[in-house]
Amino acid sequence: MSAALRPLLIVVVLVLALAPFGLPPFAMTLLTEALILGLFAMSLDLMFGYTRLVSFGHAAAYGLGAYASGWLLLHTGMPLLFAVFGAALLTGVVAIGIGWMCTLATGVSFSMLTLAFAQLLYAISFKWTSVTGGSDGLAGIPRTPGPFGFAALTSKIGFYYLVLACLVGAFLLCFALVRSPFGAVLRGIRENEAKTIALGYNTRLYKIAVVAVAYALGGLAGALYAPFAGFANTELLFWLLSGQVLIMVIVGGSGTLVGPILGAAFFMLMEHQLSSWTEAWALYFGLIFIAFVLFAPQGIWGLATGRLQMGRLRRASGP
Amino acid sequence: MHRAPDVALLDLDGVTRRYGALVALDQVAMRVEEGEVRAVIGPNGAGKTTLFNVITGTVKPTAGLIRFADQAITGLPSHQICRLGISRTFQITALFPEMSARENARLAAQARHPRRWQPFAGARIFKEAQALADAALEQLGLSGIADRPAGLLSHGDQRLLEVAMAMAQQPRVLLLDEPTQGLSVEETAQAVDTLARFLQASRMTVLLVEHDMEVVFRLAHRITVLHRGAVIADGAPDEVKADARVQDAYLGGLD
Ligand SMILES: Nc1ncnc2c1ncn2[C@@H]1O[C@H](COP(=O)(O)OP(=O)(O)OP(=O)(O)O)[C@@H](O)[C@H]1O
Ligand SMILES: [Mg+2]
Repeated sequence: MSAALRPLLIVVVLVLALAPFGLPPFAMTLLTEALILGLFAMSLDLMFGYTRLVSFGHAAAYGLGAYASGWLLLHTGMPLLFAVFGAALLTGVVAIGIGWMCTLATGVSFSMLTLAFAQLLYAISFKWTSVTGGSDGLAGIPRTPGPFGFAALTSKIGFYYLVLACLVGAFLLCFALVRSPFGAVLRGIRENEAKTIALGYNTRLYKIAVVAVAYALGGLAGALYAPFAGFANTELLFWLLSGQVLIMVIVGGSGTLVGPILGAAFFMLMEHQLSSWTEAWALYFGLIFIAFVLFAPQGIWGLATGRLQMGRLRRASGP
Repeated sequence: MHRAPDVALLDLDGVTRRYGALVALDQVAMRVEEGEVRAVIGPNGAGKTTLFNVITGTVKPTAGLIRFADQAITGLPSHQICRLGISRTFQITALFPEMSARENARLAAQARHPRRWQPFAGARIFKEAQALADAALEQLGLSGIADRPAGLLSHGDQRLLEVAMAMAQQPRVLLLDEPTQGLSVEETAQAVDTLARFLQASRMTVLLVEHDMEVVFRLAHRITVLHRGAVIADGAPDEVKADARVQDAYLGGLD
């Protein structure tokens, strides 16, 4: 991201921070969900966009985070903040194991293994009824207020700010990560893994690390979703969600961090608008997705910044 | 401990690599002294690239022993071998096409940075790696094109960039697999001039695979000839040139 875009992003965050003063409660609900999904999609971008690790099972992170925070809030009386971050941490730790296994393979086999682990968790969520509530899921998840004046975060608006803070924090973390020496190695893996190994990098370690971070942040998104919606169910671990989040990343623009957040918002908007017109909204969205892949593989953000850059180039090369 | 002067930096003994029934390397014994430029020549399929793969750990030898700087490295994973100080270039150009030449070389240098895993040391790692990278690019005359994406460089510059990347790692041994492969006559002449100057200045220990005999005779101190995986001659360029078996197997066959 070029420096010229930084002021723009700051303005966007300010606008989001002021949104509760202008938007009706119904819109705030949608916006909160969009930000949660944005966080989820951005976390996948670390793997998909920056490392070319194509996950077909990122719902595993979301669902695990959601179930973990839901369970903690329901059964331990843990305050909201601790439950949410604890669940994200747990997801990241589990992901070290998942990453270790999945990176035994590369390419399509890697993708299939991520899917397999998500399906495994999906099956567990059905069978382990005493913890997961089986097909009913976990319902009535409270937003338990905390001891240090964090009670404000449990209101509808307060929770929105919590989500916004998590998204901004996660964005800054990812931004620092992809621009660090670690991120340079990820780019190396993306462009030519064999050469990266030949240069002396143990690429598998880097891949496991990025899987862990991506899952932890995806888990954070899920951990926010459970107290947002008040429930966690098996759909949060279903492959459909894994596919949808991939679509959000691609439509928004992979390898940009910002793009996938836009992609998530766009996905929600389309789902909302199209489904009010037609039952078959998924079909129409599928067509939009195909159009993006064919005509704008750089995604929404790529289109937008491409325009900007072209304008600047034209100005720079002008007389 | 004082090291006897005749101990080689790189020492191969009985190194064999089989692919099914095919013997790609057959009991190869070879000693490369520090500061030496050693050419490895042989017809297509002689096992030259396999030799590099086995030394760098990309491919495990079926049998034999490889020692580097008094340490057995046989069977170590390639990233560990690389870290001990062996860097290579590939016969088929291997770069990061979307990164600039500077970023390519910086990523190479970063691999040897002692703090590369340390969080919050990013700025320092980048700075120190970039300094090594820029020096290597300068050595190979690439400073002028350093900010261009590697994928858009001329083929000749890409070949030299690979050498610069290897050099940015400050290796103790440099393995060059046909650095002039696919270059036009003029490009080859230029690249060889650059390489000759650079080898003269750096006194780097080099293993060089090269098909162009003029290039070999110009750059190498010593030549090893492989034929069907086996070493059939090993010596100073003039000796090798005069060797009847080499004439038979290789030089004669080419002319
Ligand atoms: N991965 C592999 N599987 C099977 N056979 C292989 C493999 N790699 C190399 N070989 C065979 O081993 C032999 C030596 O190959 P190698 O690439 O080392 O030759 P080379 O001397 O580098 O040839 P060239 O001059 O064409 O580059 C060849 O017969 C090749 O077909
Ligand atoms: Mg070869």
